[in-house]
Amino acid sequence: MGKLKRVFTNIRVIAFLVFVLFMLFAIRPTPWNEGVMIKSVMKNSSAALAGIQNPPPTAPPLVKEVILSMNNKPIKDVADYFSFVKGLRVNQTVQIKTNKGLYKLVTKEAFQEIELNQTEEVTVPETQEVTETINGTAMLVNKTVMVTRLVEVTARKAIGLEDLGLRVDNAPTSNLRKGLDLQGGTRVLLKPAEPVGEDTLGIMIDSLKERLNVYGVSDIVIAPVQDKPSFLGEPSRFILVEIAGATEEEVKDLLARQGKFEATIGNKTVFRGGNDITYVCRTAECSGLDPQRGCGTVQGGMVCAFQFSIALSPEAAQRQADVTKDLRVITERGGNYLEQPLKLFLDDQEVDSLNIADDLKGRAVTEIAITGSGFGANQEEAARATLESMKRLQTVLITGSLPVKLDLVRIDTISPTLGQQFLTNAWWAGLLAVAAVALILVLNYRRIKIALPIALTSLTEVMLTIGVYALFGWSFDLAAIAGLIVAVGTGVNDQIIIIDEMLKKQAEVVYGWKDRIKKAFFIIFSGYCTEVVAMLPLLFAGAGLLKGFALTTIIVVSIGVFITRPAYAAIIQILYED
Amino acid sequence: MGVPTESAAHSLTLMGLKATFIHIYDKQYKVLLALSFLILLASIGFLFFTKAQTGEYFQKGVSLKGGLTMTIPVEQADIEGLEAALSSRFPAADISVRGITEAGELKALIIEASDAPEDELIDALRTHGLPMEPGTFSAEVMGSSLGQSFYRQTLIAVFLAFLFMSIVVFITFRSPFPCLFIILAAASEIISTVAVVNLLGVKLSTAGVAAFLMIIGYSVDTNILLTVKVLKHQGSTVFQRTIDTMRTGVLMSLTAFAATMVGYFVIQSDVVKQIMLIISIGLLFDIVYTWLQNAGILRLYFERKHKHAEGGQHG
Repeated sequence: MGKLKRVFTNIRVIAFLVFVLFMLFAIRPTPWNEGVMIKSVMKNSSAALAGIQNPPPTAPPLVKEVILSMNNKPIKDVADYFSFVKGLRVNQTVQIKTNKGLYKLVTKEAFQEIELNQTEEVTVPETQEVTETINGTAMLVNKTVMVTRLVEVTARKAIGLEDLGLRVDNAPTSNLRKGLDLQGGTRVLLKPAEPVGEDTLGIMIDSLKERLNVYGVSDIVIAPVQDKPSFLGEPSRFILVEIAGATEEEVKDLLARQGKFEATIGNKTVFRGGNDITYVCRTAECSGLDPQRGCGTVQGGMVCAFQFSIALSPEAAQRQADVTKDLRVITERGGNYLEQPLKLFLDDQEVDSLNIADDLKGRAVTEIAITGSGFGANQEEAARATLESMKRLQTVLITGSLPVKLDLVRIDTISPTLGQQFLTNAWWAGLLAVAAVALILVLNYRRIKIALPIALTSLTEVMLTIGVYALFGWSFDLAAIAGLIVAVGTGVNDQIIIIDEMLKKQAEVVYGWKDRIKKAFFIIFSGYCTEVVAMLPLLFAGAGLLKGFALTTIIVVSIGVFITRPAYAAIIQILYED
Repeated sequence: MGVPTESAAHSLTLMGLKATFIHIYDKQYKVLLALSFLILLASIGFLFFTKAQTGEYFQKGVSLKGGLTMTIPVEQADIEGLEAALSSRFPAADISVRGITEAGELKALIIEASDAPEDELIDALRTHGLPMEPGTFSAEVMGSSLGQSFYRQTLIAVFLAFLFMSIVVFITFRSPFPCLFIILAAASEIISTVAVVNLLGVKLSTAGVAAFLMIIGYSVDTNILLTVKVLKHQGSTVFQRTIDTMRTGVLMSLTAFAATMVGYFVIQSDVVKQIMLIISIGLLFDIVYTWLQNAGILRLYFERKHKHAEGGQHG
């Protein structure tokens, strides 16, 4: 009993136990969880209109909202959800109860545009460039003429219930994020057609996010990857896009459609993406919180203002002048603005609308200041909201004028059924691997008392590694599983070294226990260093797609050397002393 | 240590076997050392043979040369027939069809094609009677230039891993010869593993290269163990110290081997299977190159050194 007390008062054992508890808390296993988790909410869908929030894609699973019942009918899993949705009619009110609140959703009718195989004549105004002779010189002038066109007649046909706009999955049973290859979806690797720096890549990623947002694609991860660390010279840079639950066609379609930017005033296009916006300032000199207007108190909080400048091409500036010269000036909220705002469109979807200051009326100015504001409960929050909306606007404006084309260099589509199979299969593999290792240990030592603690330590290492993944919100994928299974085999190595050192015959006891453990640790530590350095290059090679394998291996061996090993050695030392 | 009394007869034969083994291991260590070098030479020879035959030291899978991999869940299929049909349909493409089984039951088909358009391949598979509904199968399309750059990068990764490992080993021992022996063992292990992987007709993927990095780690683990024991522990002969350490080292390799073999047979993912297979092969070679090659060289090296120092005294 005295020994047991010494084991549990040993500082290394205590540190180990604290760590185990901490990681258990990070993983938070909840196998009894019922309901369906909301993975994403489509823009403008009935679910979005009901006020259901779209979770950030990298949110830990247990943070995401879970549907518990619909119209008081309990929803236990995805099958329940789909069978309920199947029975819905158009314009029906559905009461959705989640773990966070109650929503009232009204179902919508879905329509399909069909071409009727007939044409009709329509007259539309169109701006044309006409050469006119003014005062004896030929000049290019924009003139609006009425044009008559033949258009296909289309009709809208109701095709039943519109999708509720919820992407769902069974309620999470732990806080571990499943990687794409375990849940199904599409992953593409995009490579800029010409080498770009880190900044440009960052801008491209922001604008990609903005574009994909326009389509309401939300369960998506967009991340930069590079093939070597920057200090080793200029790396090749890629953009990794992972969309859970999407098929290859959907993703290709999205990436092909993206990128049409247009700004209009009163339905007339003033500038398009490409050459019209020549520069969007993002540095501190010409962008940031507006020093003249600052922040002010309004009802319920604070409002701050931002300002940044953009440069237009002379042609775009002239177009802007032409369109605005006939507009009236109105006074609103203490400022003088033109009656029509500047509307920004991304792929024909309106993303923002800006008031135009009256001093821009009819003037061909190439440098324009864009202003806006943000609201928050206090000054700090208001300032943050302001800067966020500024960044978003800048991204939208840059989007149209991305300098570099993106090439699709790799596409992986993982079927959700295969992904699920892999996961179940992997748990079995893990358990069997531990069992096989335990069996070999028992055969070798012929003493459960020795074999069992070693196998247990290896199992804890696996648990702790999964905990690290849950803690940092990294997604756990097949490569990580491979790393873990391999680690089950290596994890025991160092315990074997320690116990063998301890079990040496009495005659050989020239050194004390402490010396022996010290010697064992020397071997263990050198082995640890080589394993880590051997894995380092893999963090970058192959555009980081094998990062999971390298990362898991490094985490497991580190946990082994710094957390489980010291505790194991301490326990062995106490038990075998005297 | 650890011999149970209830099976005394059984352990007697075991003891006999053990004694014979120790005897051979002790007296014939030079032969065993030569044997390990023979295996290494045979591996190198085989690699050169492969290079002469195919132009490459090993076969590259689509993730290293570009192309298409599809995984289609099926319950039964005529694998050879499908491969023949696809090959005649796309004569220019290098197509291979494999099955993934779990407990003897076919679970999925893996189709690799280096040069066939995805849509046409899907059509061809559909006409062959496979249900090619979107979302039911997985596909991986790799651009060929990206594949080649992955190939270059992974080679660099292996080279760097080797370099880093050597540096750590040199820092650990600060003695050139034992370090060189460790590095030789690691290199031998990689070469022989590549040879066997070739022999089995496995096409290497990027993930496979990751497995080779792991082998470097494993190899050095056991070799460091051996070298530390031989180098730093005094009081008995080099052979005695080797034999003492061997039990620990072989056990380390065997536990890892057990885990990776389970991984190989149970996991369905082709990528993970390849990692497990390569590491398993590497672990078997680890036993050969640590305990026959490195142990032999170390013994030779130390006994020579001893002779020089003490004027021909045998250990």
